[in-house]
Amino acid sequence: MARAAVTGPAADTVGPARSATGRARMAAGDRWELLRALGALILDDPTVTPALSRALGLPEWSRADHTGIFVLDLPPYASIHLGPEGKLGGEGGDRVAGFWRTLDLDPPSDADHLCSLLALYAELGTAAQECVTAAAAARLDHARAVLLWEHLWSWVPGYLAAVAQDPAGKAWAELTGQALRAEAEATPEPPELPAALRHAPEPLDPGCDLAELLDGFTAPVRAGFVLTYRDLLRAGAEIGVGVRRGERRFALRSMMEQDPVATLRWSAGHARRWARIHGDQPDHGAGTGRWWAQRAAATASCLDEMRAGR
Amino acid sequence: MADPDEKTPDLAALGARVSAARAATEARGETFYQGASRTVLAGFPPIERWDDWVELDSRAWPKRVEHHSMLVPTTCFNCESACGLLAYVDRETLTVRKFEGNPEHPGSRGRNCAKGPSTLNQVTDPDRILYPLRRAGRRGEGKWERASWDEALDAIGSRLRAAIVEGRQNEIMIHIGRPGEDGFTERVLASWGVDGHNSHTNVCSSGGRTGFQFWTGIDRPSPDYANAKVIFLISAHLETGHYFNPHAQRITEARASGAKVIVVDTRLSNTATHADYWLSPRPGSEAAINLAIARHIIGSGRANWDFIRDWWNWQEYLRDCRPEGPQTFEAFQAALGEIYDGYTFEYAAAESGLDATVIAEIAEVVAGAGTAFSCHSWRSAAAGNLGGWQVSRTLFFLAAILGAVATPGGTFPNWYNKYVPKPIYTPPHPQVWQELSWPLEYPLAQNELSFLLPHFLKDGRGRLDTYFTRVYNPVWTNPDGLSWMEVLTDEDKVGCYVALTPTWNESAYYADWILPMGHASERHDTHSYEQYDGQWVGFRQPVLRAARERLGEDITDTRQVNPGAVWEENEFYIELSWRIDPDGSLGIRSFYESRARPGEKLSVDEYYGWMFENSVPGLPERAAGEGLTPLQYMRRYGAFEITRGRGAIYSEDIPGDELADVAVTDIGRVYSATPKPDSPNLAPQGAPEPDDQGRRAVGVMVDGSVRRGFPTPSGRLEFYSSTLAGWGWPEHALPGYIKSHVHPDNMAADQMVLLSTFRLPTQIHTRSANSKWLDELSHTNPVWIHPSDAGRLGVARTGDLVRVETEIGYFVAKAWITEGIRPGVVACSHHMGRWKLVGHDAVGSGGMMATVALDRDREGWTLHPRQRVKPYPSSDPDTQRIWWSDTGVHQNLTFPVHPDPISGMHCWHQAVRVRPAGPGDAHGDVWVDTAKAHEVYDRWLAMTRPAGTFSPDGNRRPTWLMRPLKPAARTFKLDAAAPAGGS
Repeated sequence: MARAAVTGPAADTVGPARSATGRARMAAGDRWELLRALGALILDDPTVTPALSRALGLPEWSRADHTGIFVLDLPPYASIHLGPEGKLGGEGGDRVAGFWRTLDLDPPSDADHLCSLLALYAELGTAAQECVTAAAAARLDHARAVLLWEHLWSWVPGYLAAVAQDPAGKAWAELTGQALRAEAEATPEPPELPAALRHAPEPLDPGCDLAELLDGFTAPVRAGFVLTYRDLLRAGAEIGVGVRRGERRFALRSMMEQDPVATLRWSAGHARRWARIHGDQPDHGAGTGRWWAQRAAATASCLDEMRAGR
Repeated sequence: MADPDEKTPDLAALGARVSAARAATEARGETFYQGASRTVLAGFPPIERWDDWVELDSRAWPKRVEHHSMLVPTTCFNCESACGLLAYVDRETLTVRKFEGNPEHPGSRGRNCAKGPSTLNQVTDPDRILYPLRRAGRRGEGKWERASWDEALDAIGSRLRAAIVEGRQNEIMIHIGRPGEDGFTERVLASWGVDGHNSHTNVCSSGGRTGFQFWTGIDRPSPDYANAKVIFLISAHLETGHYFNPHAQRITEARASGAKVIVVDTRLSNTATHADYWLSPRPGSEAAINLAIARHIIGSGRANWDFIRDWWNWQEYLRDCRPEGPQTFEAFQAALGEIYDGYTFEYAAAESGLDATVIAEIAEVVAGAGTAFSCHSWRSAAAGNLGGWQVSRTLFFLAAILGAVATPGGTFPNWYNKYVPKPIYTPPHPQVWQELSWPLEYPLAQNELSFLLPHFLKDGRGRLDTYFTRVYNPVWTNPDGLSWMEVLTDEDKVGCYVALTPTWNESAYYADWILPMGHASERHDTHSYEQYDGQWVGFRQPVLRAARERLGEDITDTRQVNPGAVWEENEFYIELSWRIDPDGSLGIRSFYESRARPGEKLSVDEYYGWMFENSVPGLPERAAGEGLTPLQYMRRYGAFEITRGRGAIYSEDIPGDELADVAVTDIGRVYSATPKPDSPNLAPQGAPEPDDQGRRAVGVMVDGSVRRGFPTPSGRLEFYSSTLAGWGWPEHALPGYIKSHVHPDNMAADQMVLLSTFRLPTQIHTRSANSKWLDELSHTNPVWIHPSDAGRLGVARTGDLVRVETEIGYFVAKAWITEGIRPGVVACSHHMGRWKLVGHDAVGSGGMMATVALDRDREGWTLHPRQRVKPYPSSDPDTQRIWWSDTGVHQNLTFPVHPDPISGMHCWHQAVRVRPAGPGDAHGDVWVDTAKAHEVYDRWLAMTRPAGTFSPDGNRRPTWLMRPLKPAARTFKLDAAAPAGGS
């Protein structure tokens, strides 16, 4: 496959993104420019990108809001949402890095960051436009389609739904969702579910122990939902248990220890809510949204069963 | 997600707005946004925000306290890579908060090794020298008094003036360590009419350089690692310990693209751990391995015969060495096979101790590289062995056979990728020849025989009136350091010793004057190094000076912004030269006068302003494009890339206007009567001699046209060196294998080889010892011993003390039992073992220097640690947190000098006996017999073939060979008389 010339954004981990070639290429397509810009907004401190916010017509984030959403609560990494552990790197990260390598590109260390993925997506689109032969452009378009279905559509709609629950993130999430849907509508449907979902770990089992349950809650691909610390605070308020400061697993364990029945009930409700969210997604990607909805519903059932067993 | 009832934005319109915003922003020369590269370490502050860069204070969390910084570029001073640094200068306090990488630097591309950011430690070191100091007691007694710069300048200037006026130019010497700049010091000496440049190169890289110089006329390689298919390193040192950042990052790129990395290193170096193939040969056998690979390439039909036919000096070889046979290329092809037929894999295996099948596998990998073969050899084997220069000569042989010379992924001569801008003044060549540095015994020496200086002085070959060391520590760095101490304490041999140094060191204790010089962020220099196929110039600058100038201040002297009275060499030498020649009558002052303001002193602004305006192609235009002067541009960006993709310059056609009254020799060397075109690039290379008619060597004839060729006598790659043959070494005129002084044939059965030259990536000789971060990372140097040797020797466990006995003494160190070293070989890094003397409480580098007693009796010298490193109070709270006490052993003291008779390189490897330490031994103990050391010096001196006997043309040295600060042509003559006084 032709080596895609990804400069500036994701692949050029070396030089500054202000090269003349980068400028020329980025000016080639407004469609790609928009996607790049949406990614860049969540990467940078918002004081670095005021021009971007203005151009996109989005309200400017405060630094605290930006850090709260994209650094602390909802880091935008594919590996977190598609990896079996729900953590950075690992199998989820390797899968994305492998895609870069397949394109003959050196994956940057944060290859699965949404900004990197959008930049790569845009770069593939730009490169295809610049191809001399139709065959080369088709190969790049195919690569872009694979990137969309395998590494973006496979998790980003759910991620955006989670971001949209924060008032500060709502406008960006909606605009990004709109742009992504436009891409999905313009791209041929894939023949099957993305590999990360086809080979996803088994759903939660009602017989699992507490450690496994906590692991599952913090791994979206296992639970079918996104669970933020903000969600836990809300849960604590709703069911009347204390939420201890710490990472989510620690806080959840504490809640389960205080009132396991109420915590399981709230969690099942959370899973059902997410089943609806996924179910409301446009039906693209060979049933990707359906897969997520079913996974969340399965988790809800599992939690109900666990609660009933207590 | 979006509510379908709400009005949805028009994505196309939004995209167009973003594109327009980008265009408008970039039209202002600003960065629109940085994008995803910010997610990795290569994300940098956009340059348009360098005047006011805002970061939150992590220590103030959860409060949001902003730091406002000015970002000012400079270049690192800790090794020769000259990587770009970016100083974060606090806008409120005008102090440097931290150093990070400079993304605008084309060589380092924003990346640094640990030594770069640690510059901050060096700047804030509580033990650093802040004021000029004059010796108060006996030399070496450790008593000092603070002096003013005026006092120092007057005292030293008057001595220098007297020596120059009285025709004693050869009693002046400036001995530099790693230069860290391109030619300033050499031009200072030239302006004084003094051939007094002395360098550390013959204890460093001259063995490696020699092999490359005899091939290409240029003494350094420039591998295009990033594009290589196969990278072959006999140079682990270079890639992980010294110049490693710019090289390592490109090797990493190559590996990601599938390149194979082969590392030949007896010790498991950091580079070896990343290699596809690690070969651990018997030390000194590397050239035999190379030749076996060469034989395989030739024998398997992978030699690039077209390249060899055009660019090797095979015709000269046949003419001189096989005059009876046919003078055809086919005859040469056959001869080449014959010459190396004995270097079978089995022979190389027997010499190296490696498996023949492994060598065969490596050979096949190399043979498959084609023209994308990058290779390097710097110190390592080339610096360790008698005949080590043949290691690099045989290594480049492989590149030359493959035609991988100045090709993408190949190996370039460094001149192609280096740029030394011509300065405002170029003083003439000195009219004297310094025999103490360039003795007759070593006419082919690559660099000054610096490490023999104590022995030459003891032999009465001369004396030094004024001896400068410049960021250099000869007592510690050189072999046989106690002989250095003996001459530095003898005022009959060294009349005045001036140490220009930012920090205390083992040599400075014996100085008469200590003059504090600045670190990377406190001085001006220009620098350029080969790091890829391109040319760049880096600019080191006092960052606080640049920062305050940005704020509108007028800084005329770097001391105004440096801590204490710390100065920089440029301004120091300008001032010193005025003191030597206050009225200009000696002709010295004229080189330090302003052109813009005649009669006034030259300023560094004018010096560099002129250089950047007149000698750096493309820079004035680039600067003007941003509304800056060239100097302003360099102060803002710190570096400038002049060219990229230099390619095969040797094959360029010579323009017709350079050809007049052309003469072509029987081997195709072309001479022309046209003068050499003036070039603003002064990067060093060989200088082939003119023909009998005085026409200059302009090129070589290839396929009927005159091409540039190489700066060698033949104009081609010199497979056969007429220089070596003509100057008494015909048996080594071809790439070959010289059995080392540590070859098994030359060692007793109970001896082992000691490798002593390897570095630790986080230290840089003595220069970095005042960096607390680096000291915490690396502070000791155990002796690597293979488990089989440990068992045989009775060394039970790691940490046990061993005594390592050399020919002139011994040292005591801790053992590290590891399979990372070959059986029969031990290794000890040369970075550690710093010391200060008992009673010298006011000096030192607290985290790295043990306090020692140094005693002498009839038997020799004894160095014994009295007090290990420990926490101590200072202005830096971290000195109370020193948790280590072991700072290693100073092994170099126990090494006699081993000058290679051809390259002049000190051959570092030692034949040693290792045994468990005795009851009276303590870690760090050293004992040395300097009388025995002098005997060893005499023995190695006897191996030479002096110019007085072997010179073929009445010269001291081939005039074409490179030489730092070449004196005038007449001084090369053996019968040249010394000038009659004056400069």
